[in-house]
Amino acid sequence: MLTQQLLNGLVVGSAYAVFALGFTLLFGVNHVLNMAHGSVFMWGAFAGLYVVQAFDTSFAVALLVGMVAGGVLSVLLDFAAFRPLRRRQAADFATILTSIGANLVLLAVAQKVSNTTVMRFPFEFFPIVMYEFMGLRIQLLQITIVFTGVLMVTALVYALYRTGFGRRIRSVAFSGNTSRLLGINAELVNAEVFFVSGALAGLAGVLIGVAFNSVHYLMGEPLLMQAFVIIILGGLGSIPGALLGGLLVGVVQSLAYAYISSTAADAIAFAILFFIILIRPTGIFGQASAVMRVQRR
Amino acid sequence: MIRLFATYQSVFDQILIYSLLAMSQYVVLRAGTFSVGSAAFAAIGGYTTAILSTRSGWHPALAIACGVVLGGVVSAIMAFPLSRLRGVFQAVATMALVQVVVTIALNWEDVTRGALGINGIPKVATTGWLVLIVAFVVALLHVLGRFSIGRAMDVIREDETVAVSLGMSVAHYQRIAMILSGLLAGLAGGLQACNSYTIKPEDFGFTLLVNGLAMAVLGGRTSVWGALVGAAVLTTLPELFRVFADYRNVVQGALLMVIIIYLPNGIADTLFGLAHDRRVRRLVTGLEPRAAAVSDSGAGSEVTR
Repeated sequence: MLTQQLLNGLVVGSAYAVFALGFTLLFGVNHVLNMAHGSVFMWGAFAGLYVVQAFDTSFAVALLVGMVAGGVLSVLLDFAAFRPLRRRQAADFATILTSIGANLVLLAVAQKVSNTTVMRFPFEFFPIVMYEFMGLRIQLLQITIVFTGVLMVTALVYALYRTGFGRRIRSVAFSGNTSRLLGINAELVNAEVFFVSGALAGLAGVLIGVAFNSVHYLMGEPLLMQAFVIIILGGLGSIPGALLGGLLVGVVQSLAYAYISSTAADAIAFAILFFIILIRPTGIFGQASAVMRVQRR
Repeated sequence: MIRLFATYQSVFDQILIYSLLAMSQYVVLRAGTFSVGSAAFAAIGGYTTAILSTRSGWHPALAIACGVVLGGVVSAIMAFPLSRLRGVFQAVATMALVQVVVTIALNWEDVTRGALGINGIPKVATTGWLVLIVAFVVALLHVLGRFSIGRAMDVIREDETVAVSLGMSVAHYQRIAMILSGLLAGLAGGLQACNSYTIKPEDFGFTLLVNGLAMAVLGGRTSVWGALVGAAVLTTLPELFRVFADYRNVVQGALLMVIIIYLPNGIADTLFGLAHDRRVRRLVTGLEPRAAAVSDSGAGSEVTR
């Protein structure tokens, strides 16, 4: 029973990790906390669901559509909410406020579009196949989720640390002005980062939408809060931190669901977040350079 | 006129209560602190008032006072670790605090009655009292803002490095701002409970946090009038556009984005700035003949300073 819950937690956690990766990437490169990231996730799930309903497509196509929709929406968000502020070099808090505003708009539109209903994928959209392994039961869907998560993380890490694209991103993350002097189009890199993070959110949206078989306009809000917990726990802007944090939060949550109660799961997550911030605000993988940004002496 | 007022009395009450919440947000923003915990302190104040006045049978005024003090105490406890953090992290920590408080209110059913909320709170916060209280708080904050503490907070908001080089303790002033903010939010929560007969956990969640923040930013962050203007605008706007009730959040969200991007100082502060510019310009043009006689550059530039 315990190992079964651990397994379930790891599966959910890997979907969380995919979502949190995009969130932490945005903070690492652009230094913004995108409060509308949960809405990008939700719109990704909506896009996947609508394309399945309209054209009866396969799971892979739904994933792809969700990714593209999330990426495009995220770039639009950058244009509408973040770019004007970046040009003015406004304070951190201005970007949080504009993204809260954008989030309100996206949520309200989604509520209107979906008529406040909970939507479901068609019956047996994803074949229910069960495997028994050393007394543990695992579904094909769960294996797919973990596999997709691992694939995305590997691809992202490879892209960031082994390609020219990643080198440009890392140099803009280090300093936008310095990379501009070196002939890097920083605005283009910013837009690319927004696209990648939105695509990850959209992918996570379709994965979680299929896994729980429920898509509704408020599905992104709790996930955004989870993502806060995850990236603070792992260290803001840290990719291994987001991965480990995602798995940890997934496991803690499913254990709390199973053994205490569903509301306790949320309370525990926020209590962890709160104490981490107060005791070690740089998180598990926070580097020395992050301390300056976090604390004042 | 009296009938019109009677129709909109509840809206008017709501504006006054929200303006207290917006002021609680304004106080921290003025000191350059990005704490968004007002909703949590309002919940503490509201629940304390509701529990003491219904179950323990205390006099409502005493219950509100107790709620205010408790809001202040909790924010004081929070203020010490929070003042060590920088902007974004203060925001995330206080956001988590709001979630924790709402979750407690939802689940501690013996005391808070969970999702049902607490009903039958005596309605003592009438319009007259609200006007008096808000006027008192506005006067207090206005006077405080003119003293050295207000100027210190302005320096800290504009540039922390300058503040430190002038020998100010940033953490000290931010703690004062946070405690003041907790007291005001506790007051807003207590009055809300005593004005609407009932309180529920969802009254104090993320929505209230966003509303308070939007009001303070929309109105302006550097003067207490901004909070009043913001509360008035954002409370009446949905009432005026009843027809578009479905798109209320679209309007509010778009408004928030447009204001931050194009009017970063908020409505009240921008108006004050324009008025100030005009006054200065009139002064300069009035002085011009004399200024021209005395010297060509010195006098003019001194006046504009």
